[in-house]
Amino acid sequence: MDIVLGITTKDAVIIATSKAAVRGISILKVTDDKTRQLSDNSLMAFTGEAGDTVQFAELIQANARLYSMRNGVDLSPTAISNFTRNELANALRSRKPFQVNVLIAGFDKKTNKSSLNWIDYLAANVSLPYAAHGYASYYTLSLLDRHHKKDMNLEEGLELLKACIAELQKRIPFDFKGVYVKIVDKDGVRDLDDIE
Amino acid sequence: MGSRRYDSRTTIFSPEGRLYQVEYALEAISHAGTAIGILASDGIVLAAERKVTSKLLEQDTSAEKMYILNDSTVCAVAGITSDASILVNSARVQAQRYLRTYGQEIPCEQLVRQLSDIKQGYTQHGGLRPFGVSFIYAGWDDERGFQLYQSNPSGNYSGWKATSMGANNTSASTLLKQDFKDDANLEDSCELAIKVLSKTMDNANLSSEKLEFATVGLDTNGKVYHKIWKPSDIDALLKKTGLVKEEEDEDKTD
Amino acid sequence: MSGYDSALSVFSPDGHVFQVEYALEAVKRGTCAVGVKGADVVILGCEKRNAMKLQDTRITPSKICQVDSHVALAFAGLNADARILIDKARVEAQSHRLTVEDPVSIEYITKHIAGVQQKYTQSGGVRPFGISTLVVGFDPNDSTPRLYQTEPSGIYSAWKSNAIGRSSKTVREFLEKNYQADMDRQATIKLTIKSLLEVVQTGAKNIEIAIMSPGKTIELLDDDIIAKNVEEIEAEKEAEAAEKKKNKPSSSS
Repeated sequence: MDIVLGITTKDAVIIATSKAAVRGISILKVTDDKTRQLSDNSLMAFTGEAGDTVQFAELIQANARLYSMRNGVDLSPTAISNFTRNELANALRSRKPFQVNVLIAGFDKKTNKSSLNWIDYLAANVSLPYAAHGYASYYTLSLLDRHHKKDMNLEEGLELLKACIAELQKRIPFDFKGVYVKIVDKDGVRDLDDIE
Repeated sequence: MGSRRYDSRTTIFSPEGRLYQVEYALEAISHAGTAIGILASDGIVLAAERKVTSKLLEQDTSAEKMYILNDSTVCAVAGITSDASILVNSARVQAQRYLRTYGQEIPCEQLVRQLSDIKQGYTQHGGLRPFGVSFIYAGWDDERGFQLYQSNPSGNYSGWKATSMGANNTSASTLLKQDFKDDANLEDSCELAIKVLSKTMDNANLSSEKLEFATVGLDTNGKVYHKIWKPSDIDALLKKTGLVKEEEDEDKTD
Repeated sequence: MSGYDSALSVFSPDGHVFQVEYALEAVKRGTCAVGVKGADVVILGCEKRNAMKLQDTRITPSKICQVDSHVALAFAGLNADARILIDKARVEAQSHRLTVEDPVSIEYITKHIAGVQQKYTQSGGVRPFGISTLVVGFDPNDSTPRLYQTEPSGIYSAWKSNAIGRSSKTVREFLEKNYQADMDRQATIKLTIKSLLEVVQTGAKNIEIAIMSPGKTIELLDDDIIAKNVEEIEAEKEAEAAEKKKNKPSSSS
């Protein structure tokens, strides 16, 4: 039921996640942040089995931090994505797999490129210009297909996101209580106030 | 207790706080063939002396002192070769494991550190002797470019612009100190390497049979390459530097 | 433990654990490290072993390390041992964050490091770590500077200012004489450098300084700032010596 959306622009990635924490037919919380910052320039957004999601995101976060402390440099977003895929692939073949789907947004300072990786609980890892998990994808991918441009700037990206959110609000049969929007670029990860 | 007590008493502190087993291992290495490494502006050269013990030994078998660790790192060894091959093998595994986990080549220092950590373990845990081998590593990564490291049996490692190990390493490092230039290119550095070895080797007669060379550099596409030299390459270098003839002349006068 | 279960460090008839004492000797053979607390800053200073001409200082590992973004550590003793111990501390720091969602306190991580060191004095088939460490930093959401020391035996202790490694006794005596409470940042830096100069003859190029401030990560002092401080200190010393000479013309400094 969660919404997790990612859109790359020329030199930033926009991540939007729904604020509602849903269990069964109830909304438990309206300020649920479904992201974790993994390093200075990368962010993970997640959806899936409650409990598994946070546990998994924080496991990756701790490993990324440990790598930085050990080696004096941060893992690149692509390296983190590969690592994440590996963890999911190993978990998948264990007794208790993680039921988690994630997006990893990052900005690689070495290559000066932003990246967005879509990874599902079956450990498929794809680098994409825009991506969504769950029901959100049914309503937004067509919009993104039509309007996303490779080198659009941040403002254009946010406009497109607004269109996606409007569509979701119109079509999704429940109230997801709005979205948190985060930007990942060369300066790091920052929150954006409500964009509605 | 008995033999077990003896076993576990291999690497312990002496009253002065020294680890004799490690120092003895270092001693063993100081008798091994000389090996040197030189960092150039556009690459790294490793060169080593191969001790030919018998004329009957097949000479065309591949290098015994130079090992490729992964696509961007080679190393030279001095010491007990069988110990070295254990470490080389685990370095290769570690490098590939990193590649599998992160989808990127392992940074040079991490590979060196992982090997050194294994070496350290063998100086601290009971019933084991230290590895009797030193390495010089030549590698490249996109974070810090060309890098030259040396590690020894204690598990210490450090970064160098030019370094040497094995027999006569003190005179080799004196020569390197004299002639090393920060801006020298790979070609000049190869010549320097052969010059240093020609002066430190006990046997003055230089030939491709007694030498091993390896280089790391970037190709025209900016991709890292490494090369363990064939005897013909070494002969060509010897000819170019003119050292062979000179040494032969000296031989005759002796 | 794979059959090798006889401890290396056992009591001698007169009550010594020799391996631990010998490990302390290994520490004394290591280069000197100093820690000094100021009012709102804590500083680590290290003697850098004379870098040989051909050494690549860019890629040679340093004696001052980060354990977590708010914890720094300096050591004296066997470099390779330190690497292993620091790695264990780093893992613990992140594992602590993962399990309790809080960064470690400086005392907690010190206790952990000391605990590991202790384990190696009493477990089968291992020798103790040949290192002492100085652990510094600020607890999360706190501005009290912290400075701890650990030893091969597994003892840990809190200090206002302390030195470990080669000639640490001389340096500690110097610090005892010259330490003042609540020094500002510059005074603390200067005292650290001054104390190191007691044992480092070669001056600024063999000194390394790291600064920890509340809520910030480690800050390494630039070489030229260290050099400037050294110059200042030397000028002061000379002036002092000249003053002494004036008062007592016959005595030599």
